Amino acid sequence: MAPPAQSQRSPSPSQPSGKGEVSDLKMQLRQLAGSRAPGTDDTKRELFKKVISYMTIGIDVSSVFSEMVMCSATSDIVLKKMCYLYVGNYAKHNPDLALLTINFLQRDCKDEDPMIRGLALRSLCSLGVANLVEYLVGPLGNGLKDGNNYVRMVAAVGVLKLYHISASTCVDADFPALLKHLMLKDKDAQVVANCLTSLQEIWTLEASKSEEAAREREALLSKPVIYYFLNRIKEFNEWAQCIVLELVSKYVPSDSDEIFDIMNLLEDRLQHANGAVVLASIKVFLHMTLSMTDVHQQVYERIKAPLLTLVSSGSPEQSYAVLSHLHLLVMRAPFIFSSDYKHFYCQYNEPFYVKKLKLEMLTAVANESNTYEIVTELCEYVANVDIPMARESIRAVGKIALQQYDVNAIVDRLLQFLEMEKEHVTAETLVLVKDLLRKYPQWSHDCIAVVGNISSKNVQEPKAKAALIWMLGEYAQDMQDSPYILESLIENWDEEHSAEVRLHLLTAVMKCFLRRPPETQKALGAALAAGIADFHQDVHDRALFYYRLLQYDVTVAERIVNPPKQAVSVFADTQSSEIKDRIFDEFNSLSVVYQKPSYMFTDKEYRGPFAFSEELGNLSIGTEPADNVVAAQVVEANDKDLLLSTSEKEESQGYGNNGSAYSAPSYNASTTTGASQGHLDLVSLDQPSTVHTTASFAIDELLGLGMPAAPNPAPLPSALLLNAKATIDPNAFQQKWRQLPVSLSQDISIDPRGVAAMTNPQALPQHMQGHSIHCIASGGQAPNFKFFFFAQKAEESSVYLVECIINSSSCKVQLKIKADDQSTSEAFSELFQSALSKFVLP
Amino acid sequence: MAGATSALYILDIKGRCLISRDYRGQVSAAQVEKFFSKLLEKESLKAQCALKNGVSYMFIQHSNVYLMTASRQNCNVASLLFFLHRVVDVFKHYFDELEEESLRDNFVVVYELLDEIMDFGYPQYTEAKILSEFIKTDAYKMEGPQRPPMAVTNAVSWRSEGVVYRTNEVFLDVVESVNILVNSNGQIIRSEVYGALKMRTRLSGMPECKLGLNDRVLLEAQDRATKGKAIDLDDVKFHQCVRLARFENDRTISFIPPDGSFDLMTYRLSTQVKPLIWVEALVERYSRSRVEMTVKAKSQFKERSTATNVTIELPVPSDATNPSIRTSMGTAKYAPETDAVLWKIKSFLEYMLRAEFRLPSIVSEDATADRKAPIRVKFEIPYFTVSGIQVCINNGFPCSFFYLMFILN
Repeated sequence: MAPPAQSQRSPSPSQPSGKGEVSDLKMQLRQLAGSRAPGTDDTKRELFKKVISYMTIGIDVSSVFSEMVMCSATSDIVLKKMCYLYVGNYAKHNPDLALLTINFLQRDCKDEDPMIRGLALRSLCSLGVANLVEYLVGPLGNGLKDGNNYVRMVAAVGVLKLYHISASTCVDADFPALLKHLMLKDKDAQVVANCLTSLQEIWTLEASKSEEAAREREALLSKPVIYYFLNRIKEFNEWAQCIVLELVSKYVPSDSDEIFDIMNLLEDRLQHANGAVVLASIKVFLHMTLSMTDVHQQVYERIKAPLLTLVSSGSPEQSYAVLSHLHLLVMRAPFIFSSDYKHFYCQYNEPFYVKKLKLEMLTAVANESNTYEIVTELCEYVANVDIPMARESIRAVGKIALQQYDVNAIVDRLLQFLEMEKEHVTAETLVLVKDLLRKYPQWSHDCIAVVGNISSKNVQEPKAKAALIWMLGEYAQDMQDSPYILESLIENWDEEHSAEVRLHLLTAVMKCFLRRPPETQKALGAALAAGIADFHQDVHDRALFYYRLLQYDVTVAERIVNPPKQAVSVFADTQSSEIKDRIFDEFNSLSVVYQKPSYMFTDKEYRGPFAFSEELGNLSIGTEPADNVVAAQVVEANDKDLLLSTSEKEESQGYGNNGSAYSAPSYNASTTTGASQGHLDLVSLDQPSTVHTTASFAIDELLGLGMPAAPNPAPLPSALLLNAKATIDPNAFQQKWRQLPVSLSQDISIDPRGVAAMTNPQALPQHMQGHSIHCIASGGQAPNFKFFFFAQKAEESSVYLVECIINSSSCKVQLKIKADDQSTSEAFSELFQSALSKFVLP
Repeated sequence: MAGATSALYILDIKGRCLISRDYRGQVSAAQVEKFFSKLLEKESLKAQCALKNGVSYMFIQHSNVYLMTASRQNCNVASLLFFLHRVVDVFKHYFDELEEESLRDNFVVVYELLDEIMDFGYPQYTEAKILSEFIKTDAYKMEGPQRPPMAVTNAVSWRSEGVVYRTNEVFLDVVESVNILVNSNGQIIRSEVYGALKMRTRLSGMPECKLGLNDRVLLEAQDRATKGKAIDLDDVKFHQCVRLARFENDRTISFIPPDGSFDLMTYRLSTQVKPLIWVEALVERYSRSRVEMTVKAKSQFKERSTATNVTIELPVPSDATNPSIRTSMGTAKYAPETDAVLWKIKSFLEYMLRAEFRLPSIVSEDATADRKAPIRVKFEIPYFTVSGIQVCINNGFPCSFFYLMFILN
């Protein structure tokens, strides 16, 4: 194509002068509008191209709108396309102008050329102007029935567009039903695929307010529909195949024969050239076989080869996306990939984020047979000039050591790192040696000998310094100079900027003092004085605490600061298994790359206008003071963040436990810092909802609502009375759940009408609330929902905890009840079931 | 629900929006530009997917433009990245090369393409050949009412009916690249071969093609003696035109090819392969300001084959000056733009190269001490593949021409 307008080449200088040119264009267009002379179309094309070019580089050409519309009376399809494009771009912001176009677009929708019909319909639906929807219904209806498949294909997506502009118009015109008909009957595969995408989106959004839509959404996953799609799968183009496979992955086959049939049918999809299709089939395979452990493992074996090919061929972006998926699978079943460890060796020119994933995988797949080779390879990376890479590699070596394979050789290697005399290597290794010692105290002699040679002046990073100081304190007996090194560190107290290091220093000097009093006394005095004068609150408090402890009784201090220690057996995992499962459920989506479930990053405001208005409604109910707790929970249920808040608490709990096993307060700092980085984002995401809960609970306490005095409003069939205003924080719940044994475990079935109401996930918690059973966390997707409930006995602190798994397709409920007071758990179970059985649609 | 994309953007190298198509109106162009300029501030692009204010951006780079999608939903990331690459292919088909200039010259076509490849955030058609049937802005002449191309609605979506050539021709290349990891003692730790069967077809009508491979599974199935010629393919992927079920059954590749060039098949095998060309480099630093490289390269394949057009790329420090290079064969020249010495040899046996460089005596602060970059070797050996794969058309008569690319790590 000839370069159109010279002015595009230099957008910025020409922009101010754009005005003159635009009015020129306007003139020319006006002259051409009525002309029927031969060759007019060619001139028009050039002019239209100019207009489009201006539009693209950001010059406002909306002033020629009416001229453009006038010129659009042509049969030239290229001109039409440009005109549609122009209209689509400006209509949204100029609804009045958009009205002008309706006429000619509607006319074009009846053109004899199917291409023009399709294009006009697409443009008409893309205008996105709410008060024009009435003009859409007719053309869309005709479009869906059009004889040409191109038009039907456009119309199928058009319905979805209409739904987003005005849901009620779309539903009232009965378009979803039409789409469904088309989906099951149409001969053209792309029409079918577009119907499917539109229906999925419409019914998912609609499901929250209409029970029928929810049923329809379920019906998409019914056996006939799934089989219909599977039988036609080869007709679809690659992208449509992805959509179909995504749908199939949600289908729950009734028996294993069915599973094998489907897998046999889809087997060849794993050889498709398009990686997207391969990944989508892998998802189907993985999800179908979840319940069959053996087959599931075979599936891993089967998909290994295609995945590895995808990782190592293609662009870096693709391979990263696939690698993230592989990473997820490796983490779930490291043993299956342990022989493929060589695939995870890093290449020189890979970007750091790829290398990091690979290191994590290498760490995960390490076992008795391959540890030696993996660690040898990792040691090569440590010498790498790329500092972050070297650090990560050291961490990986350390993690492998903590997995207990070949520890002996690894400790030697780590100690060699210390002798490399590179600052970042030393720093990173020190932190690791500290963790290793906490797990394998038996290595202390070898390590201490090497660590003792490191001059504290060469260690500057706070974490490494803290680790070194910890070792100085912990192994004060074995390290000859320990008191003197500590003393010199204390002399430089003011220059130490990190509070973490100062806290460690206090504890270390304290430990050292208790072991070698005469040598350390002076240093301790100086440290306590400096600590008490410290501006940092924690440092100040700890110094004061030690001071008073020593004043009170030295033997008590000894017991607190230097108790006999148990080796740490397991370090807390950074991600709860709940979250990992959620990510696995969302295989083949962004969740895998972000390593977070989707609810943590998708924006709720954009779920659709309806979800939002509902939320508002709930909030306004919440203003009644008595319903405070209810409101808080409803909001949380809406956000689906509760699971997160509990799991996150669980983690911090985990770290707390680590610390307490060690029993000296100072370790909390060192143990949490390592992991806290990873959670910063979790915490910040979660903040709003937690704040909300705690606030409302605090108000409760203030108002005395949490007191068990309130009489129970719900008529109860048994003697057991529950506290209607019971409260428990997720943290305590989590702890209790772990402590208590299962006192009752039952499988029951519930009213199908109740199941139908499950489509609204807040309905059940609200209902149970009426029976004084409160929901603390809920989650899951159809057909499996999971709820955690709790209840408290009236006038007693005894608590009942319930895990309730509801399968909405089979109407089965699994109950697990744990109770403080085991003897009443029967009675409670009855109460719970009677409450559940009353759960039907309002 | 598989998430849909909100919009597709094409940005220039500085992160300014060149052209965009907003499918759902959820992400504004200003937002995107702001995000991207922030991203570019960080020296190296951190990842191809990033999350900001609830919007996920996924992008790829091609020459001097970025292609990016933005979405507010939990969309299928791998699929979208594959899609973006497909979009690049489509643009390349239209403009030969996808770059800023070619986009600026073709706004209208780009808009049309963006309209057809995706609708409301869902990918539609990405077959360049098919798209070119109904996007003819350039060469379009009015000739009666336009019908939508058959292929859009056809079961064979990659080929349209009524293609006619005077002479029917098929070209077939096998291109393999080898990835070998060698440790410092010269032992091979890992080796892997990736190959692609590249085809260019100029055939009339709807031709039915068939190919055979010397694949072990096939030969054993046919009870033919395997004389060490059969190969084990670890993983095979085919173009969508290949009947996969047929391949599963009897290992023949049968297909109706698309018109033009395409990758019929890609495969991977991780057999132990010997590096075909062995390069040893010795780098000596005589002083702070002088560095000398001695490179020895020798071939390790059978004598009746010869490697041609061998290019060896030797990385050198970025601040090296005053090169003096001597070679026993071929030409070598310093290419400062890639910080490397390019040594080109027409026909290959075993040769030496000696190069000397001056380095500035003042070293910049952030200079990484010893960048151990890999040496790259590229070459061709006609009628030879590392994997030993053979393609047979018409009764097992091998007719193939092979290129090889070899990367030493």
